[in-house]
Amino acid sequence: MSAEGDLELVRGLVGAALASLEASRSRIDDLNVYPVPDGDTGTNLTLTVRAVAETVASAEAGDRPALAHAVARSALMGARGNSGVILSQIVRGVADVLAEATNGIGPPLAARALRGASDAAYRAVRRPVEGTMLSVIRELAEEAERRAVEPQPLGDLLVELVRHGDEAVARTPEQLDVLREAGVVDAGGAGLVELLRGLAGAVTGETVSAAPAAVASPGPDAIHLEQSRYRYCTVFVVEGDALDRDELEAQLDAFGDSLVVVGDEAALKVHVHTDDPGAALSLGTAVGTIEGVEIANMHEQQEQRKRRLSLVPSTRAKSGVVAVVAGEGNRRLFETLAEPVGTIRVVAGGQIANPSTAELVAALEALEADEAIILPNNPNVRLAAEHAAEQLEWRPAEIVPTESIPAGLAALVAYDGTRGAAENAAEMAGAAAAVATGEVTRASRDVELNGLAIRSGDWLGLADGEAVAGGDDFADVTFGVVTRLLAQPRALLTLLTGAEPPPLDGLLERLAAAYPELEVEVHEGGQPHYPLLLGAE
Amino acid sequence: MRLTSANTAIVLDSTADLPDAADRFASWRVVPLYVRFGDESLRDGVDIDAAEFYERLRAESVFPTTSQPTPGDFLACYRELGAYERILSLHVSARVSGTFASAEAAASELGDGRVRAIDTETASAAIGMLALAIQRRLERGTSDEEVDAFVERYRRERGLLFTVDTLEFLARGGRIGKAAAFAGTLLHVKPILSIRDGEVVPVKRVRGERKAFAELAAALETETRDEPSFRLAVAHAAAPERAAELEALVGERRPHAELELVVTLGAVIGAHAGPGTLALFWFRDDE
Repeated sequence: MSAEGDLELVRGLVGAALASLEASRSRIDDLNVYPVPDGDTGTNLTLTVRAVAETVASAEAGDRPALAHAVARSALMGARGNSGVILSQIVRGVADVLAEATNGIGPPLAARALRGASDAAYRAVRRPVEGTMLSVIRELAEEAERRAVEPQPLGDLLVELVRHGDEAVARTPEQLDVLREAGVVDAGGAGLVELLRGLAGAVTGETVSAAPAAVASPGPDAIHLEQSRYRYCTVFVVEGDALDRDELEAQLDAFGDSLVVVGDEAALKVHVHTDDPGAALSLGTAVGTIEGVEIANMHEQQEQRKRRLSLVPSTRAKSGVVAVVAGEGNRRLFETLAEPVGTIRVVAGGQIANPSTAELVAALEALEADEAIILPNNPNVRLAAEHAAEQLEWRPAEIVPTESIPAGLAALVAYDGTRGAAENAAEMAGAAAAVATGEVTRASRDVELNGLAIRSGDWLGLADGEAVAGGDDFADVTFGVVTRLLAQPRALLTLLTGAEPPPLDGLLERLAAAYPELEVEVHEGGQPHYPLLLGAE
Repeated sequence: MRLTSANTAIVLDSTADLPDAADRFASWRVVPLYVRFGDESLRDGVDIDAAEFYERLRAESVFPTTSQPTPGDFLACYRELGAYERILSLHVSARVSGTFASAEAAASELGDGRVRAIDTETASAAIGMLALAIQRRLERGTSDEEVDAFVERYRRERGLLFTVDTLEFLARGGRIGKAAAFAGTLLHVKPILSIRDGEVVPVKRVRGERKAFAELAAALETETRDEPSFRLAVAHAAAPERAAELEALVGERRPHAELELVVTLGAVIGAHAGPGTLALFWFRDDE
């Protein structure tokens, strides 16, 4: 073949491979969880192949070794991301073999090229990992060597290889735990097969059917990484006679972002993120007939992807927490603090409604952990906690003797479910001891306090269990409590509001003015009897 | 081969957060990573500086992504350093970035054995401190073997602690690793993190900014001594007040130690740590 012919052929092949990859770019991005789950494998592979396409587009015809060298070099220079770097080595391996070819390319040479590609890819990676682009290219090389012994057209071989590649990609979750846990196939491997699919299509002149949806794509769960501000990912194909790609693209541009319009006069594939998929489809029906419509809610997808990417292994915690907590809001605070790092069972109860020993035992036994830590969060619950711990024969249980909800929260910040109960208890007790606790409630009877008469129904403020302020002004009483709690320097004040919401107006401003360095957090606790609980640490 | 400051160049990538590296030493270069806002690709520290980056991060709805330099980028840099017999190419942990892989690919493409790509297994000012320590050895003359042994010691002994405002940035960029468990609670838990074996790892969680700062202050007390051989660095992302406070604390508590670097996290590290990040680095080196 002439030098011009070679160049034209390479241009066609690269273009076909690129188009195939581009069509799957965002799907491949979404698959990306390894080695770093940053969702850019499709983009990186596309940019890498684009660099090759740009080089061959502007290249002058030369001999085969020169052309092969130019292709390999452009892949290397333009390689983006880990996957791009590995791809550049694959391209180099192929180019080195094809450069030596003096005639047309048949199956034996293709097999040698793939073997060269596989070897080059493995050489480029210091610690090769199975279930990645590497195992996919190696399996392609092996399959090509097996099949190349039979005489056949190159196109047939490539089609078979695409099938085999799809299977190899489908197996990657069995080879690499990270993929299995995330429920995806390897992104780089999937990209590689898309490139091959494009090549096979160009050689045979026929579209090589896409991989089965269940293998190649999360299907209807197809997910997008792009932080699009639009809600719907809209994909469709327009078929017509003289479709104008540029014009359709310009029209769609106004409706959203992540716009991709590819194809020819007879068929255009559209991908757009928009809040108005109907309008986008109307633009398609205005110039032709539409089919293959897919509209997906990306906000939902992003949530799903987030969940898939939270690769924290859900192993059983070494130690778990049983906490006695009053108020729905407080329960939620305890749960959100403990669950990410271990496990917790909350037993409702507190000052007035002490839980029974039996309730605590039931919670301890339900705990999905080998050891237990009990946070009584009230002096009146401590005895029941001790009895419950004694009745647990098979599970070591430690009691961290917290006397208040704020102390319990501080203790829980130091909890780590991967540690044993004893180690946790020591850390947690230390954290709880560093908290000064306050309460604001209503006086249930007339009392005399530091020469101040407090009438039944007035506000009564306590600091570490001792009455320190009283009166009919909530802010004054609370401020008196805070003053006591901050007698020692503290960094953080947590306010937990009760089922009877306290009048906080003015209090926060007053605190900010009096203690400009203090961080103040307010949360709805929902506890009965105490409109406000305070923790200073 | 005897390595000296005259025959050996140092190449960093922009995650070292030293955009002025080439001004510090004529033999130093920085190869930028890329930060992308949508389809716009910018060279970290070249097309966009830290201040511009945090401003855009605040102002724009599109979330930036990052990408490693191409092997071509490294190749161009290595070629430019043709006058040097040895190039030490020091890069961000290969566990979190493909930058090292690009550098290695370029080194093997160059094929003359001049370039030694090194995975520092760390990031930001810790890379800068390592480079400074190697430069000190080059000034007096050293060898590849000594550099290797030193890098190995650095990986083991260098300390670093950092706190982020939110784990959202690490999570979005996929660099969260084992720290994921610390993510998001109602109580504004501040994670205290480190980098171990090249990965971000959780150390502890505390509530509130003041307490997070107190953890860094505590590390300064327990992990370092007030001696000139203790080298320290402070880094921050759009948190100059906090960084200044930490810097002042270092000056007050460790007046005889060497505060080598106070840096702003550039666009790429900033995109993964997020604004509000504050970091303390320490390392003992008698040279």
